[in-house]
Amino acid sequence: MMIQVDFFLYHLSERKGAGMIIGIDVGGTHADGVLLDGDKLLGKHKVSVDQQQLSDVIITLLQHLVPGDRSKLTRIHLSSTLCTNAIVTGSLEPVGMLIQAGPGMNPDFFARSCSTWFLDGAIDHRGQILRDPDPAKIDAAAVAMLQEGINSIGIVTKFSHRNNRHELQVAERLAGHFAHVSMGHRISGLPNFPRRVYSTWLNGALSSQFNLFKNALEQGLRHLGITCPCHVLKADGGTIPFSRACEFPCESVHSGPSASVMGCLALSSQTDDAVLLDIGGTTTDIALLVDGAPLLEPYGVNVAGRPTLIRALKTTSIGLGGDSRVAWHNGTFRIGPERQGTSMAEGGSAPTPTDAMVVLGKLSIGSQQKAGMAMLALCPREAPEYTATLLLESFAQHIRLAVETMIEEVFARPVYTVAALLHRRRIQPRQIVAIGGPAEALQPFLSESLFLPCTVPANYEVANAIGAARARLTVQATLYADTGDGRLSIPEISCLEKIASRFTMPDAEKRLKDAIDTMVAEMGMKTCPEIDFLERLEMNVVRGFSTSGKILTLKAQIRPGLTTI
Amino acid sequence: MSSSYMPHAPHKTALILFPAFDWCISPNHPEREERLLYTRDQLIEEGLEDVENILFFNPELATFHDINRVHLSVPSAEKLLTESHLISAGGTLRAARAVMEKEAEKAFAIVRPPGHHAMQTVFGDRGFCVINIEAIMVEYIRRHYGVRKIAIVDTDCHHGDGTQDIFYNDPDTLFISMHQDGRTLYPGSGFLHETGGPAAEGYTVNIPLPPNTCDAGFDMVMERVVMPILDEFEPELIINSAGQDNHYTDPITNMNFTAQGYARLNRLLDPDICVLEGGYSIEGALPYTNLGIILAMAGMDFSQVREPDYDPGKFVQPPEMNRYIEALCTKALAVFSGRGGRRQEAQQRRIVTNQKNIFYDTTGFHVQEKTSYHLCPECPGYSEIKATGHNRHIHAFTVPFNGCPRCQSEAKDVFSKLKPEPGKITALQDRVEDIYETK
Repeated sequence: MMIQVDFFLYHLSERKGAGMIIGIDVGGTHADGVLLDGDKLLGKHKVSVDQQQLSDVIITLLQHLVPGDRSKLTRIHLSSTLCTNAIVTGSLEPVGMLIQAGPGMNPDFFARSCSTWFLDGAIDHRGQILRDPDPAKIDAAAVAMLQEGINSIGIVTKFSHRNNRHELQVAERLAGHFAHVSMGHRISGLPNFPRRVYSTWLNGALSSQFNLFKNALEQGLRHLGITCPCHVLKADGGTIPFSRACEFPCESVHSGPSASVMGCLALSSQTDDAVLLDIGGTTTDIALLVDGAPLLEPYGVNVAGRPTLIRALKTTSIGLGGDSRVAWHNGTFRIGPERQGTSMAEGGSAPTPTDAMVVLGKLSIGSQQKAGMAMLALCPREAPEYTATLLLESFAQHIRLAVETMIEEVFARPVYTVAALLHRRRIQPRQIVAIGGPAEALQPFLSESLFLPCTVPANYEVANAIGAARARLTVQATLYADTGDGRLSIPEISCLEKIASRFTMPDAEKRLKDAIDTMVAEMGMKTCPEIDFLERLEMNVVRGFSTSGKILTLKAQIRPGLTTI
Repeated sequence: MSSSYMPHAPHKTALILFPAFDWCISPNHPEREERLLYTRDQLIEEGLEDVENILFFNPELATFHDINRVHLSVPSAEKLLTESHLISAGGTLRAARAVMEKEAEKAFAIVRPPGHHAMQTVFGDRGFCVINIEAIMVEYIRRHYGVRKIAIVDTDCHHGDGTQDIFYNDPDTLFISMHQDGRTLYPGSGFLHETGGPAAEGYTVNIPLPPNTCDAGFDMVMERVVMPILDEFEPELIINSAGQDNHYTDPITNMNFTAQGYARLNRLLDPDICVLEGGYSIEGALPYTNLGIILAMAGMDFSQVREPDYDPGKFVQPPEMNRYIEALCTKALAVFSGRGGRRQEAQQRRIVTNQKNIFYDTTGFHVQEKTSYHLCPECPGYSEIKATGHNRHIHAFTVPFNGCPRCQSEAKDVFSKLKPEPGKITALQDRVEDIYETK
């Protein structure tokens, strides 16, 4: 029997006890920092960003924010664009991938995007070793990689979350020859081989740069006399210490959207289903809360087109913002997805939603007259106020459609039990929380279009930095136990051990709790917050006509949530 | 999700993968919770969810109306079925909708429990099946999308006796079943001489294969019988009753078919919709056969889908088996080419009666059934069914979807004139009007 718990959700809880925290969010053009004492905003600062000198940007922000009494500062939380930049600018390190695909789909497609060496041998769906890889092939691959000047390697086998032995064997054999070795099973305990391959590749590709960044930043911190721990924000809305991020730099990707979601949460406490909107100049990011907790992707985030197992909040980005170009086409407004400079009110050349906001007096930037011209350019025969109203209504309708699509997509996620199918619940938002420059002006339109109350929290301009500051450490681990084979696997800690045939679900919980406690201790946290157990599945293995064992699977996580009030 | 980093399926394919981890016939039964665990694990680990053009859908729940369009349930569908059955049938309906509404080109319902042993009358569970999920899908498609000619190719190792029964007198449904010879395996039917009812003579083609038939035998049947017949019949839709118990590791059958063989069969057959039937080698076969079928349907490379213990040299048919299957192919072809041979009887508006004894193996009881085909020169005619078993009785009239107005009103008249009898269900199943009425 299986009890299905929706593992994409988390529940936020608040703990007391932390001191001052600095949160920093580095964006594409500017970076924000805040100093918080509990939930009290003590200071905020904004600087423009030179993507080539990220550590300098961060140090500058810290100079403005760090309290005189350094001992009051307990942590620094950082959401940076380091990894995103490396991907966008193509400055990723080359990675040599050693892949064991075993029987199944033809794995040649990996070779289109990574330098790939395929190994023979195989592990099956139950984690049983079918055949060991040929050592000669491993050695030949290593020689070829060294000749190509490859310094970072990734090792991935199919079903390594069930049995990591082959990944470890390859890593041991090649130990000392490469600066960075990333193994699939350490990155995620979830299934999905292609995603494991791409996650491992990304990890390997970011390793050197992340280490350089860390060294530069640590030097700066020493200069400022800061000795408190420094954490980085992850895509799942949680943090990890820098030391762990060095080993798993892939976890630091896509932290911007999660900073925004955590910021929304910090600024407006929610307990119901809700829609979170971060409306910018070019795009609107949408996230959903279920019973006040942000929704996660079932597997992980897509990075540079590649699906991964990097755990992430589910966010949808649509090409719709204050500065989107607007055209009138066949009786409807076409808004975005592209932008053409700024609004006409600010001297741009194409009408934008911002112009409509200026016309309606909801935004006081640029020239009211030019904004009016923008509306007339769209509908010459209508009063600018009328056109502006229609335009903002249409803007809100676009958001409504995207939200509905997203809710439908979440509802349609596959389930595997009768109970889960019959008890699926569709997300029913009771509230909209909107942040971003155009949010206030759009508030009534959003409210009317989605038939929901819409709030725009105070201090939203530093929501991301606050989100980074208030996020807390998250960890997850996955257990697979097969009592018939007498084997247990917790991939995240490279654990593969023998178990007795009477191993039970309570044993599994205990073993997984120990694993999480160890991980938390390694990350320098003294106390471990409450652990959630998810996705319990216990299945009898019947061979012939009698039970030969049980397969137990279980996940555990420290709920991502907000620290301290 | 869209990226050049994942393979692309040339045929957009919908998968309704529903392993029902919380449902079983009984804990140690082949049809138990664990059955699709390893298949699910394999398909998810392969990353099929991220392959461009492969879509995953949850099943919907079939309604009792969908069930009553096909079955005559005793005492009633509501009393016989659980939600699991409605979901399994609903999985096929979701597959049908995906294809008919062009969400996908192909669909595969990997659902359980299976259905191909469920006959038109249903008194309980037989051969792990209560309701015939393919038949429910076929009549749903006809009702909602106006499709007439449909071919069902049953590739399960057991004869699809339920599906045969339901469409026995329908010349618009071509039913081809290849299976292990009924003299050696449940349900003990599916012989060459079972060729269809009087209005559909030759539209049921059985190919009873000898035990230990290998890939070569199945390839021969596909090339020499199935494909030529399909070419001639020109169906609007092809459905594969995709049982996977012909596999060499299956514990309850005796065949030597492989994952490569299953994939090749489906590449050649090119079905619009596949529906999982049996297959009880849950660890050594199903993860690979299901994957092979999916990749074949989707038009992707399946060359590396091999069982861990696969050895191409292991299963070679002896020459006498080749000759036996060759002869079988010739006879099976003759069944179809001699189709429509009993037109005379229809012209004379005769009533042709068949009797049979149906065994319900799961709980162990027999049903005596008498079917009278009221033939008509315009249409296949309506049928009248009297069945008794388990201390229950039904007397029913079925007007097929392609019945003419005259047969429809005749069936209605006879039904309305019958007086309700205590302890007996009297039913009118009119697929033209889409009504099911009992008294």
